[in-house]
Amino acid sequence: MNNLIIHAFIRGAAQNYLDPSSGSIIIQLILGAVLGLGVVVRVFWKKIKAFFTRNRIEPDVVLDPTTIVEVPSSNYSERNE
Amino acid sequence: MVEKVRGSFRDPSGFIFAVDGQLFRQINEKYREDYDLLMNSGLYDQLTKSKTLVSHKEADLALAPRAEIAYKVIQPGVVDFISYPYEWCFNQLKDAAILTLSIARRALEFDMSLKDASAYNIQFHHGRPIFIDTLSFEKYQEGLPWVAYKQFCQHFLAPLALMAHTDIRLVQLLKVYIDGIPLDLASELLPAGTKLNFGLATHIHLHAKSQQRYANKEISQDDMRGHISKSQLNGLFDNLLSTVRGLKVKTIATEWTDYYQNNNYTQASFEEKRSLVKSLIEKVNPKLVWDLGGNIGEFSRAASGMGIPTVCFDIDPGAVQQNYDLVKKNKEKFMLPLLMDLTNPSPALGWHNAERDSMQARGPVDLVMALALIHHLAISNNVPLFDVADYFAELGDYLILEFVPKSDSQVKKLLTSRKDIFPGYSLEGFRIAFSSRFEIISEEKVPGSERTLFLLKKK
Repeated sequence: MNNLIIHAFIRGAAQNYLDPSSGSIIIQLILGAVLGLGVVVRVFWKKIKAFFTRNRIEPDVVLDPTTIVEVPSSNYSERNE
Repeated sequence: MVEKVRGSFRDPSGFIFAVDGQLFRQINEKYREDYDLLMNSGLYDQLTKSKTLVSHKEADLALAPRAEIAYKVIQPGVVDFISYPYEWCFNQLKDAAILTLSIARRALEFDMSLKDASAYNIQFHHGRPIFIDTLSFEKYQEGLPWVAYKQFCQHFLAPLALMAHTDIRLVQLLKVYIDGIPLDLASELLPAGTKLNFGLATHIHLHAKSQQRYANKEISQDDMRGHISKSQLNGLFDNLLSTVRGLKVKTIATEWTDYYQNNNYTQASFEEKRSLVKSLIEKVNPKLVWDLGGNIGEFSRAASGMGIPTVCFDIDPGAVQQNYDLVKKNKEKFMLPLLMDLTNPSPALGWHNAERDSMQARGPVDLVMALALIHHLAISNNVPLFDVADYFAELGDYLILEFVPKSDSQVKKLLTSRKDIFPGYSLEGFRIAFSSRFEIISEEKVPGSERTLFLLKKK
């Protein structure tokens, strides 16, 4: 089944207007396997830590796009004010 | 009058067009499902609320230039000035990369996938990067890899890594490669030490090897064992994010960053020049200002501080970066620092030479400022004063220009190592040359210096 999905993806590049490039997909699949494991370990570790420190699990604020571009306060002086 | 925007053709989901100077986007029937999902899933609301995606209004469908395939017409918010990644400093490109990844990750939470990761989808507006392509989102399909992974590495990771580890000037390669720097080239140019950095070793070096190995090869079922789950994709995004975050340029102290500590002005005459410039800007009351050779934006801020969108161009990556860091620190809304070599300004690029506009084609503006720049163009680059006048007249209607005479220490310095072949370079010669294209509205000596500040109006 999985193979079929990937195969359809590569063959069906017609669906994508970008050429994803076979080599790029293969390295991505390998990295996904390695890095996905990291995500699982991290989540698991957070849970263990939370259990012992009795803290609630913090949301992942670092990845919030608003962290690099905050919403400006509404009273920001606009032009010519 | 409907005008085609010639750079907007790659994505069959839709295209940009202009009606009487106003920008619109036709969304094609083909993109209906994805557009509806973007709008109804809450993703659009969240991204526009955080000002990370350009917001839009739905417009009259009757405007669609290709009605037979149109689903909707939208009118996106406009940015003050369109800039390109080869005009950004390191931190601008880095913030653009972080924003792209953050949006890709956020989209996934809403079961959508970012289908492209082009650096040209990011613009700087109100001092911050913003994603401008509403059509970049598609329904996420369980198990499929990220289709824009290669593009992200070419458009962002490769130039950032090259700037951080090889040479900051290599961002200019983006002018040569419109779809980002080829990874085999990046891999070759990066120092061997970067192979010890997990992110760069995998996303650039191994990635390039993998592309080479599988180029023109039918991929066997064995090679494609397994699919990539959502949490694996998140792992990939996280790793790309931490790789990008880990890239830094050493403090860039180049020729101009300490200019103001080491120039012809005392603090008092500097302040006087600033208020003089400010009063001239007020006289012109422009909608948009270009400050050419604006360094870290000391005098651009005379304009941007009044709420006038101002682009501060400088040739020095150190100065542009310092300026951008200030913009971020002070949350300035009207200042856009950009990298530009005025002796060789950004050309028109891409297919039909029409995908990316030249610097000049993005003008003209109401007011151009060229303070202490003329000697660099006329003496360092040998441009005759008449030609400088011609060029500036094409860029803007009004010009605030500071003339720096030969008696000034900065000009003396330029002439120490070369023969003075510029007999016409004098205040009188300047007046004659610029009078061919401009009317001199005012001229005033800058206190405490040999220099003269002109306000000129195009004839």
